[in-house]
Amino acid sequence: MLKDITIGQFFPGNSVIHRMDSRFKIVLDILYVVILFVADNFISLALAGIFILMAYGVSEIKPIMMLKSLKPLLPIILFTAILNLFFVTGEGEPLVNWWIFTIYSEGITTAVFMIVRIMCLIIGMSLLTYTTSPIVLTDAIERLLSPLKKIKLPVHELAMMMTIALRFIPTLIEETDKIMSAQKARGADLDTGGLMKRAKALVPILIPLFVSAFKRANELAMAMECRCYRGGEGRTKLRQLKARPMDFMIALLMLTLLGFVIVDNMVF
Amino acid sequence: MNAVETRNLTYKYSMGTPFETTAVDNVNLMVEQGEFVGVIGHTGSGKSTLIQHLNGLLKQTSGEVLINGRNIWSKDVNIKDIRFESGLVFQYSEYQLFEETVYKDIAFGPKNMGLDKDETDRRVRDSARQMGLSEELLERSPFDLSGGQKRRVALAGVIAMQPKILILDEPAAGLDPAGRDKVLEEIAGYHRNSGTTILLVSHSMEDIVKYADKVLVMNRGQLFCYEETDKVFSMSKELQMIGLDIPQITKLSHLLRENGIDIGNDVYTVERAKERLLKILKR
Amino acid sequence: MRKYGDSQVPLKSDGLFLFFANIIGREKTGMNIIEVRDLSFEYPITDDEGNVIGGNKVLENITLDIPKGQFVAVLGHNGSGKSTLAKHFNGMLLGNSGKVFVNGTDTADDDKIYDIRQTVGMVFQNPDNQLVATIVEEDVAFAPENLGLPPAQIRERVDEALNAVDMYKYRLHSAHQLSGGQKQRIAIAGVIAMRPECIVLDEPTAMLDPKGRKSVLKTIKRLNSDFGITVVLITHYMDEAAQAERVIVMDSGRIIMDDVPKKIFSQVERLTEVGLDVPQVTQLAYELKKEGIDMSLEVLTEEDMLKEIQRLLPKRWHTDI
Repeated sequence: MLKDITIGQFFPGNSVIHRMDSRFKIVLDILYVVILFVADNFISLALAGIFILMAYGVSEIKPIMMLKSLKPLLPIILFTAILNLFFVTGEGEPLVNWWIFTIYSEGITTAVFMIVRIMCLIIGMSLLTYTTSPIVLTDAIERLLSPLKKIKLPVHELAMMMTIALRFIPTLIEETDKIMSAQKARGADLDTGGLMKRAKALVPILIPLFVSAFKRANELAMAMECRCYRGGEGRTKLRQLKARPMDFMIALLMLTLLGFVIVDNMVF
Repeated sequence: MNAVETRNLTYKYSMGTPFETTAVDNVNLMVEQGEFVGVIGHTGSGKSTLIQHLNGLLKQTSGEVLINGRNIWSKDVNIKDIRFESGLVFQYSEYQLFEETVYKDIAFGPKNMGLDKDETDRRVRDSARQMGLSEELLERSPFDLSGGQKRRVALAGVIAMQPKILILDEPAAGLDPAGRDKVLEEIAGYHRNSGTTILLVSHSMEDIVKYADKVLVMNRGQLFCYEETDKVFSMSKELQMIGLDIPQITKLSHLLRENGIDIGNDVYTVERAKERLLKILKR
Repeated sequence: MRKYGDSQVPLKSDGLFLFFANIIGREKTGMNIIEVRDLSFEYPITDDEGNVIGGNKVLENITLDIPKGQFVAVLGHNGSGKSTLAKHFNGMLLGNSGKVFVNGTDTADDDKIYDIRQTVGMVFQNPDNQLVATIVEEDVAFAPENLGLPPAQIRERVDEALNAVDMYKYRLHSAHQLSGGQKQRIAIAGVIAMRPECIVLDEPTAMLDPKGRKSVLKTIKRLNSDFGITVVLITHYMDEAAQAERVIVMDSGRIIMDDVPKKIFSQVERLTEVGLDVPQVTQLAYELKKEGIDMSLEVLTEEDMLKEIQRLLPKRWHTDI
């Protein structure tokens, strides 16, 4: 169950998407989200969908990974779709009217739009993490946020915290699984009972997890010091972030798409 | 009746995806009540997956697991009861400690069994004594103890459930020689006193040789062999072929034979090597 | 993380002591990478209000030289002080009294601390808790990045370090997908990337399976033999210590033995007393000797034992005939 989470996974490669400047990737990903929510007709959404699928194709990431990233969020997607299906009311005659359920054609449209939007959103986000190594990602965030250093925001520290968090997510997930098994072997009941009982049942899992996380943090801090870590001052990077013509071209493509979607909205 | 029995036990990970792997492959096993069984196999041989089936933490893909003659996944069996009957101690078990005091931590299992206060108290004190933990330690925080002590508290926590079968995944991993000997001696003592069936997973052939009556060897998810300790270690060449270590003293006996000095092919303890060599040297 | 003992402040201003310490330290500069002079260390014991009420002595009057290029094993049971000693070798800890010099530089010298940490690299027990970045090569790059090297040089050092531990082909893998032994080799590469003269490894194999232990030990030995890196291996596995050039045995914060492995392990009784093991063949030699066989105790390997037995046999066989 816990092992299904794909956040923070990275698949090295040499595609156009892999080679993009990660700062562009982040900004363009945010822009893509904007496009998704501005688009409100079939043509715009279809274009946005085709765009991300093409990007996916170019990235050489296995299609199965796309499905894997969608899988854990499937309940949320379905839930949103169902909400829209039943609660959006239209002007014309309802298509279905049975017992307490009334479905309008607008409901179906909105539900489909919502499914497409959320799926595109997840695919877009996972494409970013799949093609960008965590350290480059945090590095880009550090650079993008660096103007905030002026207002005394500890940007380097925040980025380093993100790097370490991403590094330790799989380790801690594995550890949680292990502790859960160990307590179950002592007869701990994690799956039944009311809310209070379940919350109480978490104590034997959370305490060992925290104890171990603190121990890990302590040892990691020591190891980092031994490797001459002394904050962001004077630090250099293995990978340089460099914007190339390709990045600007993709940005231009994206802006065109945004422009089209806006115009499309006004016309229809 | 066998304490542990598996019939065609098979377990597959990530079923139905390209990552499908068979971790345990058609294992048929019978362990008699009261035996001390050593479980060996290199990392990824399926031994950890196998033992997690023996108390129902994992559910097999196909086949059956019987504990004391009962099919653990049949409808009339509560899987929680199986976990009390077949106690499992994980590797680095000190990570499961969470209570304020050693006493409370050991009492966690008995409490989950629904035992009353007096019985719980008796069991906590009993199992602490069995594991060589003094009375005064019971009121201390488990987090203040040494590595070896923590390990023994975790063990006591499982023993307090008085399981008929005790499965230990590398109980001595990471301890120094003194801590290792102490933990293993307490386990052996507990075995003698209680007659509990014990399955001990270990990478240390020296430890297996010292304590186990029978040895179960896993290789690539399959049961490679399950025989008397003597017999298993007489097949040291085969063990080496599947990537397992053999005791240094056994290696010595092979080297001696290659050089025309035969002390037998069943030498895997220092005592036996000494006897055999004395016969030759004192001639 | 850098801890100062109680007497640190008076010591630092004690010019005369420093003067002598420096003389002792420089005496053999060029030969010894690490010199420990009369080092004592204690963890303060505090009462409930945080007042120091005493000290828990961990190291007592340690004096020690480690020559350049040596492969030294420090053997001792848990709590013998061996890990605490190791943390003094690169200034992670500073003693309450006494001095440690790395290439003649006092580890208490704050201005030189990064030179010291570059010279003496450290690897710890749990490989998971030493890796900072998710991707292997990015983790190895961590130290050179901290040193502020230009990207091209970082690349060069990362590749060189990964090759040295034979993990180059895994450079783009995620660390958590590797085995314990492989992770530990990445941790070693992360230190090698600083191009240290000495590596101190604090029980690097304690959490590994036999296969992982072998691969890590092989790597350590190669770093010593092929690259001339001084190795200090802290361990409680006697079979690992037996492969070193020199073994230091610690007990209750003191060095109780310091010799070549054969001489150390031949003292079977003494080692057992301090909670340590000897190799099985050494144990065998000891048992045979007790039975009156004229046997040398300086056997560590099967080959040593074979030679001993062959030496003893012909004599008897001849007399028998």
